[in-house]
Amino acid sequence: MATVEYQKIGKSFGTVVVLNDLDLTINEGEFVVLLGASGCGKTTLLRMTAGLETVGSGNLSIDGRRVNDVHPRDRDIAMVFQNYALYPTMKVYDNIAFSLQVAKRPEQEIRAKVDEAASVLGLTPYLGRYPKELSGGQRQRVAMGRAMVRNAKVFLFDEPLSNLDAKLRAHMRVEIRQLHDRLAATTIYVTHDQIEAMTMADKIVLMHEGRIIQVGKPDDLYDIPNSKYVADFIGSPTMNFLDGQLRRAGKKVQFVCGDLKLSLPAGFSDQQDGRRVICGIRPADVTLSAKGEITGELSLIEKTGADMQLHTTVENHEFVAIVPRGVDVAAGTSVHFAVQADKLHIFDAGTELRI
Amino acid sequence: MVRSKSQRMVRMILAWIVVGLFFFPLYYWMTVAFKEGREIFDIPPRVFNFTPTMKNFEEVFGISFGFGFGEQREVLPGGGNWYMTPRLLDSIIIAVGSTALAIAISTFASYALSRMDFRGRHHFVGWVLSTRMMPPVAVAIPMFFMFRDFGLMDTHFGIILIHALMNLPLAVLLLKSFFDDIPREIDESAIIDGASRFLIFRRVVFPMAKGGIAATAVLCFIFSWTEFLFVLTLTQTGLKTVPVVASTFVTSTGTAWGNMAALGTAAMIPAFIFILLVQKQLVRGLTLGSLKQ
Repeated sequence: MATVEYQKIGKSFGTVVVLNDLDLTINEGEFVVLLGASGCGKTTLLRMTAGLETVGSGNLSIDGRRVNDVHPRDRDIAMVFQNYALYPTMKVYDNIAFSLQVAKRPEQEIRAKVDEAASVLGLTPYLGRYPKELSGGQRQRVAMGRAMVRNAKVFLFDEPLSNLDAKLRAHMRVEIRQLHDRLAATTIYVTHDQIEAMTMADKIVLMHEGRIIQVGKPDDLYDIPNSKYVADFIGSPTMNFLDGQLRRAGKKVQFVCGDLKLSLPAGFSDQQDGRRVICGIRPADVTLSAKGEITGELSLIEKTGADMQLHTTVENHEFVAIVPRGVDVAAGTSVHFAVQADKLHIFDAGTELRI
Repeated sequence: MVRSKSQRMVRMILAWIVVGLFFFPLYYWMTVAFKEGREIFDIPPRVFNFTPTMKNFEEVFGISFGFGFGEQREVLPGGGNWYMTPRLLDSIIIAVGSTALAIAISTFASYALSRMDFRGRHHFVGWVLSTRMMPPVAVAIPMFFMFRDFGLMDTHFGIILIHALMNLPLAVLLLKSFFDDIPREIDESAIIDGASRFLIFRRVVFPMAKGGIAATAVLCFIFSWTEFLFVLTLTQTGLKTVPVVASTFVTSTGTAWGNMAALGTAAMIPAFIFILLVQKQLVRGLTLGSLKQ
């Protein structure tokens, strides 16, 4: 268990800047997810933490100790790789025991630790097998077992679930989170899958082009995204965006996009008339209502089981709404949606930052 | 794909024809070894209906069948010395020795080239390859003088050295591609597990690369087994390998085809045994399920 601190971290490969003046503190025992599209620098940051990449500039501290130049084996970290990186010529037992064997721990201690990890992960029957004889989920568990026996201060996960099928991924999400709660070790988890981030994280760090865009609890990023990028990234299906302007009508401020007018909450009363903005509305935040302000031309109905996704066109913008199953609508007709004023996300059209 | 019975028949027949094309010359060469004088030149050639004799082998290896390697006998008219058992041993010593040396060096070199970042790494690979671009015959004479001055002339060690050096570039490049196929994450995982470079190589990477090393060893062995030019120029009486002595069967009074074939047939056996030994490693998959499929 330890804190991890990044101070003004920078890194470039040749002329490509991968990380740019990055500051971040990860608290003891926290489960932090580094989230972002590929190429955003999240994996580089993780590998830097592990010591597999050199720190370009700035300070990296683990547990209060500057580790910029410390060898990976002396950093007290454990890492689970995307492709598991198991040792194919060793049996599961030796795969898990390898780090302890390298450290020349007594045979008894090794056996006890491996047995414990194996029983936690349900691998006991497979200790005598080779990795090739295991299923994807079991290999994933072996990789986690390897990390567990090391009693590391910090656990690093590099997109560990991306090679698994959807069902197994959902299952392993729960297992990894449970493992974290059990070991209470500081965990840094890299993924591009926002659902993984939302479900597992104590804290999400959303990265884009080598910078941190927003840090916060999953709910915060979902409810109060600080920019259009975050709003777009978090949530599935993604948020609907309408381009328009703010209009003053006495004390009240409205969002106007063509014929569509939406009243904004009182907080916007000091806004300038005519400011160009983007209005974001989550598909799940609208309800079907005959008197609703939003009118859409329904083009496609997607049934997902529990509910339906209505694909519509609102003022020349694509607009998706999630409604309960069994609502009587037909493609090719107009539908009306209502939305609460406090569910509107208003971003500046130029900076795309939240207003 | 669904294929009719006739289509499968055609495929089968074609496959056998190809096998025959490769195998027949070998087979015919072997029959020559068991034929006596006149029969070798019979037209039409005797493919199956010849009278097998061990005479050629007896002459070449000094064996009188009742078995056992016998003493050299004066078996040839004119007192020719065509007793080849020691030459076969020379070949084995040199091929095994040079293969071992080349593999030992190239395994480490190619792992380093594959994994470690150092300045000019990419040029290094090109440079390694360039050493093979020069025709060996161009350096044969300078080599002769160097070997003479260093006292390597006519020694097993000298030939082992030169064969290993000739094999190195190819072995390094070949092995590098095998090491490149082993994902870096496996090394990195072991680094985090606390292992040193050498330990990673010994316990993790080397076992995975065995198949590639075996394949490379086969190529090195065959090269050394068949190499002609350097053995010809860098040896005198101390040793000779099979390809060089085989040429001595061509004499001013005629060519001893039967003896040459007997030596050639016998010479295939050690190479064949070597390949059998490493074959188990050859067919093994490289990564063996360490990664996603």
